[in-house]
Formats: sequence, C-alpha cells, structure tokens
Amino acid sequence: MTPAPPGRRPGIGIALGRVAVALTVAFGALAAGAGYWQVIRSGELSSAPDDAAVIAAGRHVVRGEITDRDGQRLAWSLLDANGEPYRKYLSSSLSGVLGYASRAFGSAGLERAYDAQLTGVTSADPVQDLVKKFRADPSDPQAIQTTLVAQLQEAAVRALGADRGAVVMLDPRTGEVLVLASTPVFDASAVANPDTAMRTFESLQGDLAKPLLPRATQGRYVPGSVFKIVTAIAALGSGAVSADTTFAEQPSAEKDGLLVSGYRVRDGHHPATGSKALDFVGATEVSCNIWYALAGLETGGDALVEWSGKLGFGEPIPFDLRTAVSQVTGGGGSFGGGFKDAVELANAAYGQAETVVTPLQMALVTSTVANDGVLMRPHLVQALTGQAGTRTVDPEVWRRVLPPEIAREIALAMRQAVGGRLGRQFTTGAQVKGLTVAGKSGTAELGGTGEPNSWFIGFAPAEDPEIVIAVVVEQGGRGAERAAPIGGDLLAAWKAWAGR
Amino acid sequence: MSLALAGMPHLRLRPRLRRRELGLLVIVALALPLGSASLAATRALGAGTNQPAGGLLLADGVALAWYLGGLFVAHLVLVLSGRRTDQVLLPTVGLLGGISLLLMERLPQGLAGGLGLGRTQLVWLLVSIGLIAVIGALVRSDAWLRLYKYSWAAFGVGLLLVTFAFGHDVNGQRLTLSVGPVTGQPSELLKVILVVFLAGYLSENRPLLIDESTRLGPLRLPPLPYLAPMIAMWALALSIVVVQRDLGAALLFFVVFLLLLYVVTARVSFVVLGLVALLAGGALLYELVPHVRVRVDIWLDPFATASGSGYQVVQALHAFARGGILGTGLGAGLPTIGGAPPIPALHTDFPFAALGEELGLVGIMGILGLYLVVIERGLRIAASAVDDFRAILAAGLSLVIGVQAFIIAAGNLKLIPLTGITLPFISYGGSSLLTNGLVVGLLIALSDRGVEVPRAPSEPHGFGRLRDRGAA
Repeated sequence: MTPAPPGRRPGIGIALGRVAVALTVAFGALAAGAGYWQVIRSGELSSAPDDAAVIAAGRHVVRGEITDRDGQRLAWSLLDANGEPYRKYLSSSLSGVLGYASRAFGSAGLERAYDAQLTGVTSADPVQDLVKKFRADPSDPQAIQTTLVAQLQEAAVRALGADRGAVVMLDPRTGEVLVLASTPVFDASAVANPDTAMRTFESLQGDLAKPLLPRATQGRYVPGSVFKIVTAIAALGSGAVSADTTFAEQPSAEKDGLLVSGYRVRDGHHPATGSKALDFVGATEVSCNIWYALAGLETGGDALVEWSGKLGFGEPIPFDLRTAVSQVTGGGGSFGGGFKDAVELANAAYGQAETVVTPLQMALVTSTVANDGVLMRPHLVQALTGQAGTRTVDPEVWRRVLPPEIAREIALAMRQAVGGRLGRQFTTGAQVKGLTVAGKSGTAELGGTGEPNSWFIGFAPAEDPEIVIAVVVEQGGRGAERAAPIGGDLLAAWKAWAGR
Repeated sequence: MSLALAGMPHLRLRPRLRRRELGLLVIVALALPLGSASLAATRALGAGTNQPAGGLLLADGVALAWYLGGLFVAHLVLVLSGRRTDQVLLPTVGLLGGISLLLMERLPQGLAGGLGLGRTQLVWLLVSIGLIAVIGALVRSDAWLRLYKYSWAAFGVGLLLVTFAFGHDVNGQRLTLSVGPVTGQPSELLKVILVVFLAGYLSENRPLLIDESTRLGPLRLPPLPYLAPMIAMWALALSIVVVQRDLGAALLFFVVFLLLLYVVTARVSFVVLGLVALLAGGALLYELVPHVRVRVDIWLDPFATASGSGYQVVQALHAFARGGILGTGLGAGLPTIGGAPPIPALHTDFPFAALGEELGLVGIMGILGLYLVVIERGLRIAASAVDDFRAILAAGLSLVIGVQAFIIAAGNLKLIPLTGITLPFISYGGSSLLTNGLVVGLLIALSDRGVEVPRAPSEPHGFGRLRDRGAA
C-alpha cells in the first residue's frame, strides 16, 4: 500500500471554494423556502380553521359577534358555569350559512371559515399582525357584519317548509349574498351548548335528511331546464348561435323527438307552438329541449365547457364558504370538452346527462345575465371590526363574461319566460305585483320513479336588476309547481324589505 | 505516536490571548440573557401578571449562568493551550447551543425524564463544549486518525452491525443502542468515522482518482476499480435505509461522500454520476421499501393526509406560517393542544420549525447564517491545511455539520422529504451534541497549522512544509 502522499496538490482550494458556493446556494434555498411559508403562505395557513393556534383560541376566547347587514345580532357568546364561553344563535334558519362553533365538535360554516378572525388569532390590520408580538394580549377577536338579511333568510326557510332544498339570493351589482338558506335546518345553539352538544350532534349525524349539509353551497343537483341559461350564454357568447337562429328540423321533431346518434331527445309539453320554427326567445319562453339540444350541438362541447368555466363551473367558487364544484360533464370523453358523444352533449345542453350544479352556481349564472354580463365575486362578509379598526370588503368584479348586448338578449328571453303568454304557464307564481320578474324554471329528471327536482332562477326588477334568486326543492315536482312560487314569494318579501 | 496529547512530560503553559473569540463570546453572553428575559416576560404575561414572578428577570438564570460559564471556561482552556487556532467556531456553535437551551427550557419539561428537557440538554451542551475545548486544546497530532483508517472503517461497520443486531427500535427506526445504562445512537458517531476513513482513502488515492482512462458516454471516469468505493458507499447508504430505516443518515453519508469526492478530483462527472445513482437508488427504494414510499408521498402532498401520516409535516408548516416575518416571540408560539406541543417529536426532529414560529423568518435567517459561518470556517481551515489528508478531513467535518443542518431544515420546510436526523447543536439529544462537539473540537485542532504532520517515509515534503515554521 502506498502511503499518503504528503504536501498539497493544486486544485483542492478551487474545489473547496466551489463547494462553499454550492452550500451557500443551498442555504439560500432554505431561506427562500422559509420565506415562502412564512411570508407568502403565512396568512392563509395561520388563519386556517385547522391551525393549532386557531383551535386553541377557539376553546377559551370569547368569539366576536356576527350580525346581519342591518346590524341584527345573528350569533353571540354566553359564559357557562365555569366561565367558559359558548355560542348562541338567533335562529335555526341560519344553520346552513353560519354553521356552528362547538368546543366538542369543532366548527362549520361561516364560524369555521372565519375562525381565525372571530377568535382574533389574525387581526383586521396586516400591520397590526406584524407587530402583535409586542402587545400584551396579541389576540384581537373581531365582530363580523355579514351581507345577510335575517328576515329574508327566515322567510326562505319558511317557504321551503318541510321540503329539502336551498335558496340563494344575492345582489347582482355587488355580489353581496342576502340569503343562503338550506333545509332541513338544525339547532346550532344546541350543538354549541356544552350541555346538549353530544346528544344533538349525534342525532344530526345520523339523520338521513343530512341537515348538516349546507345545500346552497355544497348541494350538487341536476339542473334541468335552468341550465339552458348556461347553454344560452355559451351559444350566444361564442357566436355559434344568434338570437334569430332557428332550426328547420325542430318543429317536426316535437312529436317523436329529435334523433341524435340513435338517441331520441324528447321535448316537454309545449303544443301551442305548432309547426313554427322557434327562435332563441321563443325556445326559452316555452323551454324547448330540442332547440337547446340543437343549439348545444351547434356550440360544441369545447365551447360549452369553456363558457361554463367562465361562470365558475369546474372549480370551487372563490367565496367565504367552501363550495362544491359544479360540472357540465363528468369528463374523460373524447367528443370535445370531455363529453362522451353527441348524445351526452345534446342532453347536457338542456341540463340533464352528467350535469350537476350547486344552487350558488346557478345564482351566479343568473347574476351574470342580470348585471349586463359582468359576474361579481360573491361575498357574505362586508365588514370585520376589532381593536385594530374595521376592515370592509368592497365589491369586486370576478369575471367579465358577456358583452352587455348579449346579456340583455338573454335577460329579455328570461323576462318572456315569466311574463310571456306561453312562458307564464311554466313559471306560475313567479310573478310579483308591482315588480317585473325575469326567470327560468327547471324540472330536473333524476331517473327512476321519484319526483323531479324543482328549480327556479330569476331576477328583479327586470329593467334594472337589484336582486337575483335561485331556488331548488328536492323532489318538489315540476319547476312551476314548487320552486317558481317560492321564488315569487321571496321576491315579494325582498320588495317589502327593500321598501320598493 | 498514536494519540499524541500535549506533551505531558514537558508541559509548559504559554497562554495566547484570543481577542476575537472573547469579543464574540461577549456578544453571545449579551444576546442569550436577552432571549431568556424575553421568555420570562412572555411567561409572566401568560400567567396574568405584568411583573416577572418573584422579581426574577430570566427564565432559568441558573442554567444560563452555567452555560455561559461553560463557554468562558472553554475559552480559557483554549487560551491556556497557547495555540493559534480558529476563534470563530466556539462562539458560533455557542450561540446555536444557547438558542437550543432557551428552546428546550421553553418546551414542556416532561419530554425528557429525570432532570427535565432543559436541564438535561444543559448537561449535554456542557459536555459537548468541554469536548470542544479539550480536543481543541490538546489534540496535536492527526496520526491516530490518519494511520488507522481501515481500523476506523472496520469499527464503524462493526458499530453498524452491532446496532442492527442488538439495537432497539424507536419510532420504527433501529438507531438506538444500549450498553448498560448508557443509551446512544451510534449512527451519529458513524458520520465522523466515515469522514476519517474517506479523508484517508481519498487523499491516498487522489492521483489515481484524477486519472480518467475510462469513458462512459460523455463521462470521463477513473479506472473502474477505483469506482469501487463509490459503489460501496452507495450500497452502504441503501443498506442503512433498508436495515435501519434511517433515510437521513444515508442521505447525509452519501452527499458528504460525493462532495468530498468532488473536492479531491474536481470532476463534475463524479457528482453527476453520484446524483444519478442517488436518484436511481431513491427510485428503487421508493418501489421496494414501504416506509420510503410513505415519506415521499407525504412530501409530495402532506395536506392530503393532514390528519393522518402528513400530520407532523403539516403542523410544522403551520408553525412556520404562524411565525411570519418577526415570529411570535420566545414562549409565545407553539399553541398546546391537550398540554402537548402541536408537532410530535418537536424537540428532536422539528426544532427548526419551532424556532421558525417563535423567532420568525428573521430568526431563521440568523440561524442559517450561523451554520454558514461554521461551514465557511471549516472549509477555510481545509483550504489552508498543510496536506490533502487534513484538507479533506476538515472539509468533511464541516460538511457533516452543514449538510446535516441542510437535510433536516429542508425536510422541515418541505423542500425535500422529511428525514429524522438532528439539527446540529440545536436538537435535543446527547449523541448528537457529543458528536458535533467532537467534530468542532477536531476542526479547531486542525486549524492549528503548526500541528505536526507525520512524515512520509520516502517522498520529500511539499511546500506546505515550508509554511509551518512556527511549529518547531
């Protein structure tokens, strides 16, 4: 064995220098990584409901109050015999939107989404957040003023009655949500109260009607004919179809159905249109499946998916609460846009096939039409107030979907679908005295023998829209029978509240 | 001339002042009480009073006094040794150790039995600093390392085998060995032994490794037989993963080996080949070894299993996020859930995340800077070493600390899969502190360029010999 050659050879110094540079770069990467988590992702992670600090604070901090837009208290805190706080709610009608905050069972709904703010783990002012370590008590529980209207929320739950369903009402000009109702409701105060929490929560979890599911944001329903408005936005927006487009094969197919690749698209009952080929407004007024199936085929799967994506389909909606994803198709097909074939596309165009939507998503579709094609980001919270001051949430344009003139064409068709000579047969009860209502009903076939889901989407006043509504009643029958009258009642209640 | 300590028969004290070390230690001695006072103030606020309890200004003044006293005694020992050695390393690791002491005092003391977490860590820190001082002052010859590299290698492999045969599993890893009342993790010591062996082997075979007679595609390689150690290292690393389930140690060994190979040969092709082997080995292990797959899957998306296998990693990321830029302050972060800190195994595997929360991004930058100082001093010692063996040894020792700190910090930050190795001088645990004390002690000893170099029998000395006139 040769002994170690003594003395230094050239090269080691240079190589050592390069190793030093490499390690410095590696440590620079560590600093960048720390910067990513401690600056860029800091706010999001440290205010997440499952953050340890948020959970720990939730057990002993007196949470901020939640009020509606008029200042009515919706949720507040009481102290139990041990001096530990627990939550109390104005009404069980709010359960689908506020959720609950319970020491034993965590939190849900708005209470969960704003856990960090309500317990004061994060402050209303980012500068205060940065220097809060220098304060004696770093926590700053904030009161939340929502955009809700307690009396309309109450009215919506009453209108749904014993049925399962959901109502969304929002202001299309600002995206402010006035009503976010889901039935059946549950007694959130009983979940929050330590004496009744266990018993209440267990029975709620076992309930087959799933009262804990917030249907307005997370219920996924077959839309039926209300989806035709999405098809109209895609068809007119992409230019594939114009308001004047008629299809020669449509009148003759009314009797036996339209043959698409061996499958017959059948129509509902609109015998009054006779042999006249319908245009866009006419087809919307009588809810003609065949016209919409043909318009959908003309538009194509790619464009239908692309345009519905602009409306929020295919991703969770950026909202104060967690939302389920609405879809036009299950995807995976090769026909274009993920559709399997022409049959699926034709059926999806009038809201059947694999199409599923949330009530909030349908309210956003309607809002786009009502607000001249501009979709405002929906929001539920308008102000957060703590020691550090008040942070207000301003309206924000989410997407500019349609040019105003096309939005108005669709709005006109929806007005005809409520007020027209033929249309009113499909939307009985949606009309309100002294208010021009535009809308669309839907009857979503679920397959099998059960009753269909009953839908209504609409806005008012039609000439200058201030309110949008989406109603779904699970197995409520035809749209005209159940959802449309609820829509009319609630628009009337809104009119009374707004003092119009 | 195996273990040549300071020539006992003719012991003469020639103290040499170490002004820079003293100055830096004074800064450390000012900084740590400030941290302790901040911790005490936070605790007092938490207890609902504005006055620190009993007028006590510091969180644990006695422990802090012992620790700072230990640092100054170590300084004194180095002064008395009269050697011209590095003056930056002791204060730097002293500050890291002090941060560790504050963190361990701040965590629930029940995490360690007996004295409690803080006091136990204090004892190990003092022993570690003592080791630095004694080795830095007394070790003058490297012959005992240089001449017995194969014996050391055999000892290391033996240690590995003994651990495998007689060790017991902790957290699914077979790393812990008990001899009577003493419990330790031999793989900590193994990394030093590995560096010693590599320094001997690589310095001896350097001329042959630089030779590039074999071509493999675009790569120029030395004669194939000399690739054997690389293959052996690769196999060793893989077997450590499979047998001991110790991903961190395997990664550390292999990366340090590759870097040293680069230092010796200055051939990028080795590094490229080594990284390819690392990735291939990783892919192989991912397919074959379940716990590797779990680790990698957690790394790819810990949030997918945030309440299951990804819990620890997600909680650590939350801790970093809570810290933000300035941190919550010592003692004000790490919200307890049911009395326990939010991250399991925080004191051993996640002190970096804990410090990220309480000291913030600013503190993290500072700690990373301290490790860079250690690396930079170590590589500087290597660059000015009198011969290849010492250069490689010093480089290897500093890389062991630097790369280990990188691996665990990067694991905490989700830059690479998490591995359960310690953060040098900060993580709780005796084996780690002792080994790192040994490493820094050796670095300080090696920084003395007056140290005698064993004469090679035949060859004349290079110009390196000319430089150490002061040695005689």
